[in-house]
Amino acid sequence: MRSTGFSFVAPLLVLMVVAFNLPILYMLGLAFWEKGRGFTLEHYEGLVEAPVYLRVLGNTMRIPVIATLANVIIGYPLAHWMRGLQNRARLVAIALVVLPFWVSILVRTYAWIVVLGNGGLVNRALQWLGLTDAPVSFLYNELGVTIGMANVLLPFLVLPLFAAMIRIDDRLMQAAASLGASPRTIFWKIYFPLTLPALAAGTLLVFILCLGFYVTPAILGGGRVPMISNLLDTLINQIPRWEQASAISTVLLIVTLAIFAAYRRLDRKASL
Amino acid sequence: MIGGSPWTRRALATAGILGLVFLTVPILVVIPMSFSSAKALTFPPPGFSLRWYDAFFGSPQWMDAMWTSTFVALISSVAALLLGGLAAYGLRRGSFAGRDWAEGNFMAPLIVPTIIVAIALYLGLAKIGLLGSLVGLVVAHTLLSVPLVMMVMGVAIREFDPRIEQVAWSLGASWRYTVWKVMLPNLAPSVFAAWTFAFIGSFDEVIVTSFIAGRYDTVPKKMFTELILEVNPTITAVATLLIGLTVLALAAVTVILARAGKLKQTIV
Repeated sequence: MRSTGFSFVAPLLVLMVVAFNLPILYMLGLAFWEKGRGFTLEHYEGLVEAPVYLRVLGNTMRIPVIATLANVIIGYPLAHWMRGLQNRARLVAIALVVLPFWVSILVRTYAWIVVLGNGGLVNRALQWLGLTDAPVSFLYNELGVTIGMANVLLPFLVLPLFAAMIRIDDRLMQAAASLGASPRTIFWKIYFPLTLPALAAGTLLVFILCLGFYVTPAILGGGRVPMISNLLDTLINQIPRWEQASAISTVLLIVTLAIFAAYRRLDRKASL
Repeated sequence: MIGGSPWTRRALATAGILGLVFLTVPILVVIPMSFSSAKALTFPPPGFSLRWYDAFFGSPQWMDAMWTSTFVALISSVAALLLGGLAAYGLRRGSFAGRDWAEGNFMAPLIVPTIIVAIALYLGLAKIGLLGSLVGLVVAHTLLSVPLVMMVMGVAIREFDPRIEQVAWSLGASWRYTVWKVMLPNLAPSVFAAWTFAFIGSFDEVIVTSFIAGRYDTVPKKMFTELILEVNPTITAVATLLIGLTVLALAAVTVILARAGKLKQTIV
């Protein structure tokens, strides 16, 4: 095979190798290194033994699972509803989904302090409705972090799901209806299975992004709901234990890449 | 559309609208708050004032952060556009060993958790003594913007018929003429979109910046530090300005892509 086009790629390749691949390799290597003694596995042993790491790991798994589930429950009907809209309304809906996607994550996280705070919109609505006397605390706990994360990641699920839904041919459903299938049968036996690969791919994507979340737990968790990223921040910036941080990063990287490989397979299926 | 009873349809519409409200509420709440006259975060605001905008534009620290952000975003987005655009061309038109690997590697900063990129760059830059330097910051933002550029330019170049280039060549056009008079006019809308996405991406970047910027403050980094320390309404003004910037940029991209008839391929 004749090799063409490489010279166009080379400048970026040099940048990526020097500024991206090498630092990551260096970090991976650091996790297996102890000053003066060379190769070691003790930083990984430290991971398993310290209960604080296990607690953080628990948070890092539990919160993304809940946030991802919330995303599916909110996102699927939203995407499905958008599919049925007429042109202009559909464009407005798309714009409203795309815009938050590009607005700074800090802005979107910050706003929840106003909405969910003790004197915030939600609490005053709850009190006005007489549902509660004392303000419900949404902030600086797991609930707040989960709401904030679900909000930030919703466009990542809705956009690919919507793209897959509008590719489904209406005539499939019409054919089923003319053969006497009930709307419920049509939805569960025809429509839903066709959206499933995109739903699964979107879910995995959202989950991956959840795993590395840093800003939202830091702001809405108020330091009380540490996730892996916040732990890493502490290990790098506050009590410098770079080797330990490198070991944790390695684990997070491997988990992420494994889930991403699964996502790629599903995504290819979804776009067929 | 699948029929279903009117009741089902009404339930679906309610769910959809609630979903949109959930998505947009944060943005809709921040804007009026920034014009509040109150010191505390109360909604709805008790009165109108521009005091938080005064506080923002009157603060040397915020203005410094603004300049650093703009400088880094400008240089890194142009660098990402040049390097990423060339690479996208090489990947789409060329064939060489390791092409898929190279493409995967260019997209990787989007998939690898940003916190890992931040830590790797922190360790790497510390090793070579560039931690807390503008150079380090610009390089980091460039590589984070590369995937955004690749996504837009990759599609645009694939959709651009290679025969048009070949015709220009065969008619004796120099490569410079082909690039300036044949390719760029066709690709211009996508180039603008890619540059805008790279600029916004860099302007909003907070995690890597917080780790490696040292004494430099960017707007998001300063917002983040202030949010952790205390809730100061000046941030609502900054947030509103950022929302305004994003809306303007996206509107410009939409109009330019729509005029060129390329909106659909870039967004979906």
